[in-house]
This record gives sequence, C-alpha cells and structure tokens, in this order.
Amino acid sequence: MISIKNITKKFTNITALDNISLEINEKELFGLLGPNGAGKSTLMNLLVGYINADEGEILIDGEKISIENLDIRRKIGLVPQTLALYDDLSAQDNLEIFGSFFNIKKNTLKNVVADKLNMVQLYDRKKDKVKTFSGGMKRRLNLAASLLHDPQIILCDEPTVGVDPQSRNAIFEYLIKLNEQGKTIIYTTHYMEEAERLCSRIAIIDFGKIITTGVLETLLGELHYSQTILINKNHLTEKKTGLFQTFGEIINEQDKYELKPTNKLKLSDFFASMEENGINYESIEIKKPSLEALFLHLTGRRLRD
Amino acid sequence: MKTILKLIKKDYILFWHDKPAVGLTFLVPIVLIYIFGSIFSGGGSPQGIRLAFINSSNATVAKKIETALDTSSTFQLIKTYTNDQGKKVTFDTNSVKDFIRRGNASAALVIPADAFTDTSTSLRLKFYYDPKNNIEMQMIQGLLTQTIMTEIPSVFISSMQRKAEGYLGMEKGSNFNKQIASVISKYYKVDTAEILHGMQFAYTDSVDSDTSRKAGNFFSNILQMDKKQLVGANVTSPDATRSVGGWAVMFLLFTLTGTSTSLFDESKSGVILRILSSPISRVQILWSKYLYNISLGCIQLFVLFFLGYLLFNINIFSNFLNLVLMIIAASAASTAFGMLLAAFCKTAAQANGLGTFLVLTMSAVGGAWFPTFILPPFIQVISKLTIVYWAVEGFLKVLWNGYGFIDILPYLGALIGIAAVVNLVSLWKFKRGTIL
Ligand SMILES: Nc1ncnc2c1ncn2[C@@H]1O[C@H](COP(=O)(O)OP(=O)(O)O)[C@@H](O)[C@H]1O
Ligand SMILES: [Mg+2]
Repeated sequence: MISIKNITKKFTNITALDNISLEINEKELFGLLGPNGAGKSTLMNLLVGYINADEGEILIDGEKISIENLDIRRKIGLVPQTLALYDDLSAQDNLEIFGSFFNIKKNTLKNVVADKLNMVQLYDRKKDKVKTFSGGMKRRLNLAASLLHDPQIILCDEPTVGVDPQSRNAIFEYLIKLNEQGKTIIYTTHYMEEAERLCSRIAIIDFGKIITTGVLETLLGELHYSQTILINKNHLTEKKTGLFQTFGEIINEQDKYELKPTNKLKLSDFFASMEENGINYESIEIKKPSLEALFLHLTGRRLRD
Repeated sequence: MKTILKLIKKDYILFWHDKPAVGLTFLVPIVLIYIFGSIFSGGGSPQGIRLAFINSSNATVAKKIETALDTSSTFQLIKTYTNDQGKKVTFDTNSVKDFIRRGNASAALVIPADAFTDTSTSLRLKFYYDPKNNIEMQMIQGLLTQTIMTEIPSVFISSMQRKAEGYLGMEKGSNFNKQIASVISKYYKVDTAEILHGMQFAYTDSVDSDTSRKAGNFFSNILQMDKKQLVGANVTSPDATRSVGGWAVMFLLFTLTGTSTSLFDESKSGVILRILSSPISRVQILWSKYLYNISLGCIQLFVLFFLGYLLFNINIFSNFLNLVLMIIAASAASTAFGMLLAAFCKTAAQANGLGTFLVLTMSAVGGAWFPTFILPPFIQVISKLTIVYWAVEGFLKVLWNGYGFIDILPYLGALIGIAAVVNLVSLWKFKRGTIL
C-alpha cells in the first residue's frame, strides 16, 4: 500500500537518498534501520510530502505524494524526530492547536485530545507547560500530537531519542497496540535492539541506499551462523578473550562480548570449555544473531561507529 | 587567577561566535554615533531647508535678502509651484499659503511690496509656517532672522545716508557719510547693536502687527516679522501629536521583527514540519504569518495612539478613518520588513540582531527621533527609502495637518509599495530557503 519507487533526493552536495525502492504492506510494523545521516528522516519527509523527490515517486494506495497533495496527508501521521511542540503551551493546548489543523470539530477535538492524552498517560499533566516535562514525557506527547486525526499510516522518526527506559517501553507498547488495531507503522531507528524488538520486516539503509530488506529471520539466515553467544564482561571473562576467539569471532560490546561462532561449533563443546575455565553459565546467553552482526556482515562496518 | 583568565577567555570566544551580539555591541553604536555626529558637526547648521519665497518689493534691502538667501546653502528658495494644469507658476500670497498648508514646505517668507519704502523705519516681512516639527521651526526662524539681520545694517545705513542727504543737503550729507564710515569701521570691531544704539537708530517705534516684538530690543523694532501659523494651530496637544507617530512606528518595527522571526523557532523545533504534514501548504503558512503580523501591528499601533489620546489628549478621532488606513499601511510595511529579515537570515539570533540594528538606524534616519532636515543631504536621500520616514510623515499628515484620503495617498502608496516590493523579494527568498 505504500510503494516507494526509485526515489532519489539530493541536497546541495549530498545524495541523501540514492535510487531507493521499498514496498510497505498494510498493517505492517516496518523498521527502517540505519546509522545517523543514512537518510531515514529524508525518507520520512518525502513520505509526508514535506519535500519533493528529485526522481522517482511515492504512492499511497496508488495516490502520489507530493508537496502539492494536501489531502493525502490526512492518512498519515508523522512523529517528527525533533520535538515538534510549543514549549510554552500546555500539553492540552498543544494538542488542540495541532488537532485544529485537521478540521476536527470542536467538540470531537476535545474528546480526541483527552483520549490521546490518556493513551500516552499524560492526562494528569494536561494543564502543565510542555517545558516542564521530562524528555520521555515530551516524546510521548510528540507521539500523541501525531495521532489526533487517527491516521492510517504512522511514521515514527526515531521516537525514542533521549528517553528513559520506562518511557521507551511505554512508547513501544503504544505502537504495538496501534499496530494491532490495524495501523501501518514505519519505525526508523539507529538502535538495532528497537528494530529487533518491534518490527517484523525491516530495511537497512546506509548512505542513502537500501542495503537489504526483508523479514528479520530471513535476513539473519543470510548469516553463516544461526545463533550468537553473549558473554557478560566481568573480571573472569575479560581475561579469557583468547579462549573465546578459538570458538569464533568476537565483537567487543560495552558490557559484553558477542561471539559469532564458526560453522562447526557445537554448543556442548563450548559449554564444556566454559565449565573447565570456571566461567559460570549465568554470564552466558545464547541468542539469535543481532542486526548489529547482520550490519557488520553486510557493510563491513559497525552500526554505531 | 589562571582559572579566572580561562573563564574570561571562554566568554570572549562565546561572544565572538555570537555575531549578532558583536554587531550590536559595536556596529549599532558606530552607526548611530555617526548619524548624530553628522547632525551636530558643521556647526549644527542644516543644509537646503526648503523655504517658499515671494519678493514683491523693489527695495534694495529686499533684493539683498533674496540674494543672501539664494546664495546661502542653508536655505533652498522655492519661488514657483506647479499648478493644476501642470505649469510652473510664480507664487502669490494665496498659493504660497496653500503650498505650506499642503506640507510641501514648512515655511514661507513673503517680502510684500511695502516691506521697505523711503519712509519706512523698519522692514516688514511676512512669515507663514507649519510647525509640524518644533525643532525645525525654531531652527528655520533662527537661521532666517540671522541671514536677514546680516543684510539689514548696511541697507539701513545707506538709506539713512540718502535721508540725511535729503535733509541736510549734499555737503553736510557727505560729512555725515564720513561719520558713518568711521562708525562702520568701528562696527567691525564692536558689537553691532551697541553701535547702532550709539547712532541712535532706536527711534523706530511704529509697530502695528502681531509680531514677536521684544520691547526695547532694537532689532525687533527694525525687523517686523508678521508670523502666521497656517497648520496645526488648533491641534490640542502639538508636541505629543508631532512625536507619537515616530515612536509608535519604531516600536511597531521592533514587535514585528520579533514575531516574524518566530518562524525560526517553529522551524528549529520541527513544528513547521508538523504543520506541513497536516493538510496545510507553505503558502498558507506564509499568508497566516503576514496577516497575523499585520493585525498585531494594527492592534499595537491603535493601542499606542489610544494611549496618546488618553494621556496626552492627542486627537485621534477627528480624522479617524485616515488614521486607520495609515495604521494598516504602516503595519503592512513593517511586517514586510520583519518577513524580509526572516527570509534572509539563517537564525533567529541573526535576524533579531540585524533587526535591532536596522530598526534603530531607520528610526534615526527616518525621522522618528528628530526631523530629517537636520541630516546631511545624502542621508536624507536614504531617509526616503525607509519605512519609518513614510510612516512618520503619513501620521503627521493625518494627525497634524488633518489631511483627507487623497492627500495621504502618497504616504499610503509609498508604504504599500515598499511592502509589495519587499514581500516579493522575501517570497522569492523563502522559495529557495530552508526555513520553510
Ligand atoms: N535540508 C538539508 N540540507 C542539506 N543536507 C541535508 C538536509 N537534510 C538532510 N541532509 C543530509 O542528508 C543526509 C541524510 O540526512 P537524514 O535523512 O537526516 O539522516 P538520518 O535521519 O538517517 O539521520 C545527511 O547527510 C544530512 O546531512
Ligand atoms: Mg533522522
């Protein structure tokens, strides 16, 4: 239902999007994963008709999106990456103003605003100025402000930046619920954990190009291994990196090592070796390979350099 | 101490990177000092003041005064006007009064046919004026009296000679001349008034006009200025009425600079993106900004004028409809100015810095603080390019002269014209900019 066809968008000296094509299905929770500057926001801006593409076209239900097509925007709710709120106004005033742009009738609007404030758990704070809110509260309000016209498609541009874990979880829950209600959601992020947790299908974008796209499991199947081993860092494991390397390649994460095992690794051998070296099972976790590994595999670079 | 030096250095680095702050610290004062300086340099004497002029007298003194005024750089004599048929016509008393009433010049000097005859003991001149600006009027009168008075003694002396010859016969007359000559040589060393007093000229006492005579002052007796205020004589509160327009326009410009640059805040916060992702177009946003600013400007101006009415009894209601038209035109032009700043600057800080600088400069140059005539001629040319100038003059025409619609059309036209041109430029710039 959303077809992005051969989109190219150039800024003065940068090709932000380079011949991108994507199909996003109805009621899908689609993830767009890429590092900073990959072109995610540019694509979101194109999807909402904020800017026009240099080449290619985007169709929603067969209708072309452009700066000039105002009506189609009623179908779309963009959650901008930068907080798009009036700091000096209350939460309620903000929502009422943004709602009024969609010609929602006054009485209906009051109810809708209350409804959305409830949804993002800010109803108690509706009279407070936005500038008194925490980062997480602002992000939740930023989301609510994009849902007032009950859009069929929700575009979330990194909606969890600068957010505490609780608010992040809350936002995930709202989105999953909305998706269950039948909304199509495109979720951009540079956090692989988020894409992993939320999205059934993803596209990985880098330097304005789609590197790969597909169902998560299929993509991970492209890797030569089917599971990764996570080892928590502690005084013991930190001395044993040499040992781990005999089982595969090690990615040094902040608080753990990610071990991409070689093809012939047997987990039983691995655990036996760990036991021998006094490393208890609690520091070890078996997972399916992460997007981080996939990105590394596809581009030869870490997702977050 | 080292720590404090480091902190100071940090503040200087931050200051230097805040270009608007640097500009406001140095550029604004420099420009304003220059403008004020050019007013008071050159002995404070302005150049080319427009003075309507009629000389109907054959007297030598009349001719001398005309020549003196013609050659002085202080005054620019206007002796003709363009009549309804588009022809240039020499002034007569009625047309010169009209000329002043229409605001084409602030003052007219008329030397009537009987200004100075053989039997005159004093010089009688007529002076018509429009004190739309107090400083200007005092200056014109001062400078005019000064110019005339420099010419008078020689003329009077030669006329006295002639009279003396008539009374005394040639021989005694030439004796008299010698005495006069000796006096003249003295005259250059000693104060004029004293000498003239010494010669007992002070017998002239026949004053019969409503002049500004100072009893006992010889000069006031010798020069009879018949003054008539043609404009604004009925204005209830002249000083406030004259100055309200200028100040109001300055604050209007400050307000609209601020509100126009709100586009930057909205753009930076992403609100513009949010608004544009609803069924709203850029053109509609721009229109709304224009109309919001214009209406806010109208409200602000109206409140200021109304306060003028309450506090200073400025009569805003006698010519209310035209005042409203001027308010709208001034708001439209000032809004255009604010939007131009928004279109050409990259940040709100830049726009506000540049805005403050331009508003202060325009106010100084455009006549919000003091009349433009005291500025050097080339700056007066710049004055006419500013919104402040046309607004100040327009408000004066409405409140001071009580002009009707036709007569304020040039001012409305200039303001709307400026607004239109400026808007086209900023629209062009908005289309290629990134703010929207
Ligand atoms: N308005 C713009 N003008 C110039 N360059 C831009 C503009 N918007 C984005 N870019 C550039 O395009 C590239 C992609 O940016 P963006 O879409 O914001 O990336 P992401 O959202 O994935 O971090 C970046 O290099 C960015 O600097
Ligand atoms: Mg982005």
